Amino acid sequence: MKKIILLAFTFIFMMNLLNAQTYKTRDGYVYFNPNKDLTHKDYEAASKEGTGILKVETSEVAFLVPMKTFHFNNALLEEHFNENYLESNKFPDARFSGKLIGFTKDQLTKDGVYNISSEGKVTMHGVTKDFKAPVKLEVKGKVATFYCHFTIKAEEHGINIPGLVKPKLADLTPIDATIKFQLN
Amino acid sequence: MKKIVLYLIVACCFLVKASAQDDLLKDLVKDDSAKVKHDFATATFKSTRVINMQSVEMTGAGNLQFMISHRFGQIWKEGKGWTNVAQLFGLNAGAANTYMSFEYAPKSWLNLGFAATGNAQLESWAKFRLVRQQSGAKNVPVTVVLFSSLHFDGSDGPSPDDYAWNRFSYLNQLLIGRKFNDKFSLQLIPSFIHYNIVPYGINNTNNVFSIGIGGRYKLTHKTAISLEYARQLNGYKDLLDESASAVNYVPDLVSIGYDWDTGGHIFQFFFTSSNAATNIAQLAQNTNDLRLGNFSLGFNLNRSYGIKKVVNTP
Repeated sequence: MKKIILLAFTFIFMMNLLNAQTYKTRDGYVYFNPNKDLTHKDYEAASKEGTGILKVETSEVAFLVPMKTFHFNNALLEEHFNENYLESNKFPDARFSGKLIGFTKDQLTKDGVYNISSEGKVTMHGVTKDFKAPVKLEVKGKVATFYCHFTIKAEEHGINIPGLVKPKLADLTPIDATIKFQLN
Repeated sequence: MKKIVLYLIVACCFLVKASAQDDLLKDLVKDDSAKVKHDFATATFKSTRVINMQSVEMTGAGNLQFMISHRFGQIWKEGKGWTNVAQLFGLNAGAANTYMSFEYAPKSWLNLGFAATGNAQLESWAKFRLVRQQSGAKNVPVTVVLFSSLHFDGSDGPSPDDYAWNRFSYLNQLLIGRKFNDKFSLQLIPSFIHYNIVPYGINNTNNVFSIGIGGRYKLTHKTAISLEYARQLNGYKDLLDESASAVNYVPDLVSIGYDWDTGGHIFQFFFTSSNAATNIAQLAQNTNDLRLGNFSLGFNLNRSYGIKKVVNTP
């Protein structure tokens, strides 16, 4: 009898472990260029310090990137980004939480490229918006890399762009996110 | 007994399920790795100058900043009456100083500068950031910057005629600044000036000390008012010039300014009690009495260019 109970508990414990199969990463890279002319290098910005979490069983994902980790080619634009537009002291990070659609845990065990998608919510500058974008998952050995290209409309997030600057910027800011998970 | 155990197991299962649905984002936010390790104070001042003097702000790594700084004549010269109006309160007075400078930042903590002004006056400097105001892993209350500049007088002036060394003077400043909140920043500026040759050469000192304070208050995201005061501590009274007549310099330097950030450029409009262009002349050779009419209008205009790419394209 006791053995059975012990076995049952062990089983639950194992289930628990499997269930809670989550991967965390600090290897998130986000890149954008808000200028209409994408060859304008002054406006390029990137952060290498995004953090992500992936729950395999439920396909849930979350991603967070602190605003102050974005660096621009032109330091003055970086200052404006933090001071005038994103107000990084008030809203220190951008967040995403949602689900991967078309993702199965088998994909992580087999090398290959999988086209899936993601749905959820993005919070930036204190405003939360629905999010939907295709995602490319590349599994190679013990590394799973998620690539996502999406666009964000600054106005929808309450970011006020003055008339003088507006003609230079694209209506929809294209953003590239690359999130690498180390699998073990 | 068996039943109880079964219930317990079922209950456990549910617990597991429930916890799995907890928001992942909360985990992430709680996680220390999601926070910025060093939360540096940025934009302590709008520009690399408070008004006349250097601020703790540095040109960003890989950026070249070009600055034109201009000071017009005095707004109301005593005893000149209507001439002052005709001269558009100094704007059209025929006496103005322009200071043109280039600053490049090979490293985020190092700026190298070169400037030219007036009558063959050249300057070059290095600006080192020693300590940076930050919170997070480390708590540092102030930013400390060492500003060290070299001034060369290339003019046909009367005194520095013999040796090239006589034409050099030096300014060393410690800039200690703190951003108190989003709007208000303050900076303390002790300076040490050394002349290789005493100006005019008689009964004077080679070393001049001065202490200054500068501050800014942001009105909006893009505009701010700034204030600057410096006082010369020695070597300004009863000096003798070449013809052995007494000269007195004015130890006080007062400036009030308005900063305007247009997005691409930063404009700083100001009134200052000295219309000299270089820091050395402002701090150690100021001849303007502290009287409203002696103030002159001026502006700094700067623009920076990203020279070196710091962002990796995916």
